[in-house]
Amino acid sequence: MIEQAVTDPHGSAAIRLVGVEKRFPGATEPAVTDLHLDIPEGQLCVFVGPSGCGKTTTLKMINRLVEPTAGEIHVLGTEIRSVKRPQLRRQIGYVIQQIGLFPHKTIAENIATVPKLLKWDRARVRERVDELVELVGLDREMLRRYPAELSGGQQQRVGVARALAADPPILLMDEPYSAVDPVVRGRLQDELLDLQRRLRKTIVMVTHDIDEAIKLGDQVVIFETGGIIAQSGAPDDLLARPASPFVESFLGNERGLKRLALLTVADITLTDGLVVDVSAAPSEALALMTAKASDWVGVRDGDRLLGWVWSSDLEGIVRVGDATPKRFRSAVGPTTSLREVLDAIVNSRTRVAVVLDDTDRYLGMITVDELSEGIGSS
Amino acid sequence: MGALEETWQFFTTSDNWWGNRGIAQRTWVHVQVSALSLVVAALLAGPPAILFGHFRRGGTLAVAVVNLGRAVPSFGVLALVLPLSIQFGFGLGFWPTVVPLVLLGIPPIFANTYTGVRSADPRVVEAARAMGLTRRQTLTQVELRLATPLIITGLRVSAVQIIATATLGALVGLSALGSFITEGLATFDDGRMIAGGLLVAILAIGTEIAFTITERVLTPWSRVGGQGPTRRRRLRRGEDSPEPGEVTGPNVKVELGL
Repeated sequence: MIEQAVTDPHGSAAIRLVGVEKRFPGATEPAVTDLHLDIPEGQLCVFVGPSGCGKTTTLKMINRLVEPTAGEIHVLGTEIRSVKRPQLRRQIGYVIQQIGLFPHKTIAENIATVPKLLKWDRARVRERVDELVELVGLDREMLRRYPAELSGGQQQRVGVARALAADPPILLMDEPYSAVDPVVRGRLQDELLDLQRRLRKTIVMVTHDIDEAIKLGDQVVIFETGGIIAQSGAPDDLLARPASPFVESFLGNERGLKRLALLTVADITLTDGLVVDVSAAPSEALALMTAKASDWVGVRDGDRLLGWVWSSDLEGIVRVGDATPKRFRSAVGPTTSLREVLDAIVNSRTRVAVVLDDTDRYLGMITVDELSEGIGSS
Repeated sequence: MGALEETWQFFTTSDNWWGNRGIAQRTWVHVQVSALSLVVAALLAGPPAILFGHFRRGGTLAVAVVNLGRAVPSFGVLALVLPLSIQFGFGLGFWPTVVPLVLLGIPPIFANTYTGVRSADPRVVEAARAMGLTRRQTLTQVELRLATPLIITGLRVSAVQIIATATLGALVGLSALGSFITEGLATFDDGRMIAGGLLVAILAIGTEIAFTITERVLTPWSRVGGQGPTRRRRLRRGEDSPEPGEVTGPNVKVELGL
């Protein structure tokens, strides 16, 4: 049996690979070469790389579907060869493309696979199946059906429910979303992130889709042919500081945009922006516009943002509030991604994104300059 | 009197139904010899076919070797076996008939069982192992279950061939349905001969139907179609909701609203 991590002399790594090598019989080059990797507990770690780079082989060595030819693998502090394969695997959830469901078993039977192997009593199994159906957002009515009666997205949810059935501390996912169409894939990814926020499992996922890796991973490991780690780190680190031309080309174009997609408004320092109060005199507003070389200015009333006015709107009035402010077309919130902020900026006439909180309180403005400074300093 | 009338007369004569040489007794013997041959063939062919399929190695060669058996005529085997059977005390009739029938039954069972186990989706089998099923559990709960339709088909084909060929038993003194044919031939009794043929055909067809029903009962999952009629019907009735982007019918694309 796998011991809990407290007995692990190596700290909080849930999965630790030490000098792991895999040579397939008949192959001249090893599929995985002297691999050292720590996967911390509770993190979602994504293996990504071109096909044939050894990422799937590495994943399958963790639950002994593939046996390494050298090195050691520790799962929660236990060397995995000291545990019988079925025992090891019953504590590690495994999700593959939807095709991995048992076609001859109903959805309920599929989900109950591991609990039944662990000889849970019937009532407990039924209770757990109901719980999981709820957790992954399936309809209870589906339990009696066969996998072929479900859509691709539904099958994938069943796959996740089946992997989580015995509440394993670790989840392995082998290209789980490669067989569903992009719209469903995006939604399943969001569901996984939501699930992970609640469950905090140690998840290792393999994908060939770098965007998926960046979106989902706490830690992204980029593999090169031969099972060599080209670079490993948080997605933002990889995008900000690719270690080699290979990593750079693998991350692809639009690295800046991808970083913007990762960061949110909360990650940058907000400034008050080009704004005056409704009670301000037009001369005060014009002075601010001249200083910022702008032909418009925002108008606020306390912590409410009323809109914006052209400099020409300020002629012949006593206070700024007498002009009728035009509304800003769109506002962003503190959790909006910077990529959406950029979109809001380029779509607005004033070339700024306005930040409001949930209660429409004005928090600040973001310009393109602030955006690029923001990601430069993070 | 025409052949049809003679056949009718044969069936409507109650003496032909009962007694040692009657239809009832001979049908029973025919069923016995066929069933025993099928069981023995399945016991001989099944286990090795399952192992070849499970290990996914050497099976194609094995199937080729087993299929060579199909080239050996049952009549020839019967002729070879008869003197041996007499010499070793198994006598005439039943036992010499079983041997060629077993040999006849082996190839379809072997080929289908092997193919069925071998063609279990490797990803499903890997998922089973990854879930922590032992090798034996993977075999019994996944591979064999998925192979069930093909295995039953193999048994069905063998059973029908065995039933049809068991008529040869009459040549070595087995008093079964084939005897009506040989007797009819010998006595120029067309009615008796045709009746014998008809009875064998009815038994074979009945067996075929029984196996088909068995297969349907044992494989409820094979009647549900993926994006096929079952799901489409549910969607139409509003019992299920489509995924965004899912194609739910022949030319119907659900609007994404994007």
